[in-house]
Amino acid sequence: MKRRDFFKTAAAGVSIAALGSGKAAGSDKKLSEDRVGVLVDTNACVGCRHCEWACKTAHQLPASDLENFNDSSVFSEYRRMDAGSLTVVNEFENEENKLLPVHVKIQCMHCERPACVSACIVGAFEKREDGAVVWDSGKCIGCRYCMVACPFQIPTYDYDKAIQPMIRKCDFCVERRDNGMLPACVDICPNEALIFGKREELVRIARQKVKRKSDAYINHIYGESEVGGTSWMYISGNDFGKLRMPPLALNPAPGISESIQHGIFAYFVPPVTLYALLGVMMWVTKRRKDEINNNGNGNQDGKEGGK
Amino acid sequence: MKKIFLIIVPFLMISLVIASGSLFGTKIQLPVEKEKTVRQDKKNPKQKIRMPEDHSKQGIKCTTCHEGEYPTKNDPMLRACLRESVLSEFNYVGEGPGEILIDGMSQNYGGVRFSHKVHAQMSAMSTGCTGCHHYNTSVPILKCADCHNKDRMREDVSIPDLKAAFHRQCMNCHKQWSGENGCNTQCHVRKGESKPQKTDKLLSHPPLTEPGKMQWETNYEQGRIVTFFHDEHNKLFKIDCKTCHKQDNCVKCHDKTKQTESGSKYKKSLSEHHKPCISCHNENNCQKCHRDGEISPFNHGKSTGWTLKSYHSKLACAKCHGNQMPYKKLDRNCTNCHKNFRTGFNHRVTGLVLSDTHKDMDCKSCHANQDFSKPPVCSECHDDKSYPSSRPGKK
Repeated sequence: MKRRDFFKTAAAGVSIAALGSGKAAGSDKKLSEDRVGVLVDTNACVGCRHCEWACKTAHQLPASDLENFNDSSVFSEYRRMDAGSLTVVNEFENEENKLLPVHVKIQCMHCERPACVSACIVGAFEKREDGAVVWDSGKCIGCRYCMVACPFQIPTYDYDKAIQPMIRKCDFCVERRDNGMLPACVDICPNEALIFGKREELVRIARQKVKRKSDAYINHIYGESEVGGTSWMYISGNDFGKLRMPPLALNPAPGISESIQHGIFAYFVPPVTLYALLGVMMWVTKRRKDEINNNGNGNQDGKEGGK
Repeated sequence: MKKIFLIIVPFLMISLVIASGSLFGTKIQLPVEKEKTVRQDKKNPKQKIRMPEDHSKQGIKCTTCHEGEYPTKNDPMLRACLRESVLSEFNYVGEGPGEILIDGMSQNYGGVRFSHKVHAQMSAMSTGCTGCHHYNTSVPILKCADCHNKDRMREDVSIPDLKAAFHRQCMNCHKQWSGENGCNTQCHVRKGESKPQKTDKLLSHPPLTEPGKMQWETNYEQGRIVTFFHDEHNKLFKIDCKTCHKQDNCVKCHDKTKQTESGSKYKKSLSEHHKPCISCHNENNCQKCHRDGEISPFNHGKSTGWTLKSYHSKLACAKCHGNQMPYKKLDRNCTNCHKNFRTGFNHRVTGLVLSDTHKDMDCKSCHANQDFSKPPVCSECHDDKSYPSSRPGKK
């Protein structure tokens, strides 16, 4: 009877696991075919940093006057985002023409298969149907797994805040866009180095540009297929490695970890195996004990031992 | 009943065929003759490009701009903008405007004064008119707003919007020139503030002093001196500035930043140094330029033994020798170029005015076998005359 009970619970467990995994797969929202993105043309960027100002202003972050952002002395060192800036522009030397340095804006790439969403244990991150990866302050517990998981090392943290520190990263101006406006950076860019549109269309445009101006662009659309594709993509005349864009594999970042996790834990395999093993061990030891007892009592009744 | 039906059906069918035929007939009408405007964007019918009526006769292949075989008014089947690769026909610098006020775009800034003349003058040594006017197949010059949409939020984002189009035109060079990218350092002035005064300097570039002879001393041991006759290439050989000065822009002369200590920012490699010459001249013939002393200027008579006179000296080299470098040596037969010599040819241009009796004669009568390199023969008609002791006219 006891063994029968065990199998019953195991079967129930397996079915729950199956349900659970089914649910997990279902929660991967299908991305809209019209999902949006931005194509960054580093050849068109002049490094005015107006996007930095616009971003700060749009997100109610402290920012000085727009005219102060023309100061190019900040380019002397490579900068990264922090809690007070969701995007930064960096300057790189152009080997072909030292007088025309290359400027590269960085921000969240809004991956097609985001690692942060996969890593977040409380579901505070969400990949929206329209392509944006957004973060919900209400759900976040501040574990910062997202910061570790991100292949581009984008999310930042309010380290200097003791109470309610926030994870900060570009939110693709979802609020602005829901109100029918363009992302703040795209809106202000004087050269339209940031082209906003449907991702599919942007890939087409990028391919066309790279093909038609093969002397001005290298044949690589960064983000078209890196980590399974990103919503923000880059084209440039310089090698992306030199622009400090990480060289990444083409498979989605959460792919490996998810396949291990989901593979091993699918259908409760580890606990079921563990309990099965323990059960077998218990059964073997019990049988051995019985045999010893039977041997000690002499060959009185062999039928019981067999059961 | 059946009979009526039998009559009506074929009648209906015939009328249908006629109707559809006339329909298709209007559809496959080529727009080149009648149309004055061609729409650029299917999705945005408001956006029009006015193409000149005769643009189909300009010797441009239709497929350069049109993707399909039969572009129509409603669907011109235009390719994406080809910029420089589109053949262009432009006015001379002097015909263009001196200064343009670009206004009406910004709410915060006043209009931008653009000195068109300076840019036009100087672009002769860089990209030419096409550098900026990149989609014009002929006059009249199109406005940027004809193609570039004013709205950033728009359906077709394959070409930049108007704001970006303006900025890209200016910034790519000006950023290089001054390193500045602030709005009101170069072009813009906040509304309400005073605008920069118009100066002559802004309106026209001072005339450039064109170098005549240039000489360099090199490390090459077999010939240290390289002499280059700039004026020959320009004036005598009629080579366009753009042919050599392809990538030159303002920075080449107006070096405002002075970043390097060595003086020259452009550390050219050996191949880059030779590129302007060997793009036409034979690469392996070092002695052509590298000599122990100065070389003498080019003289067609000395080099080839055929002195160019009057008409021929005014021609560009390629007119006779073709575009292929190195130039082929031509024989002295005039028919190489003058294939259509015939009676009635104005002989005066050769330096000899034919007398009335000789005027209407066939060329072959004097120039045996139309071989103009040999002296003419008089013996065909005259027993006692010979060239050059007696001439068939006045010199």
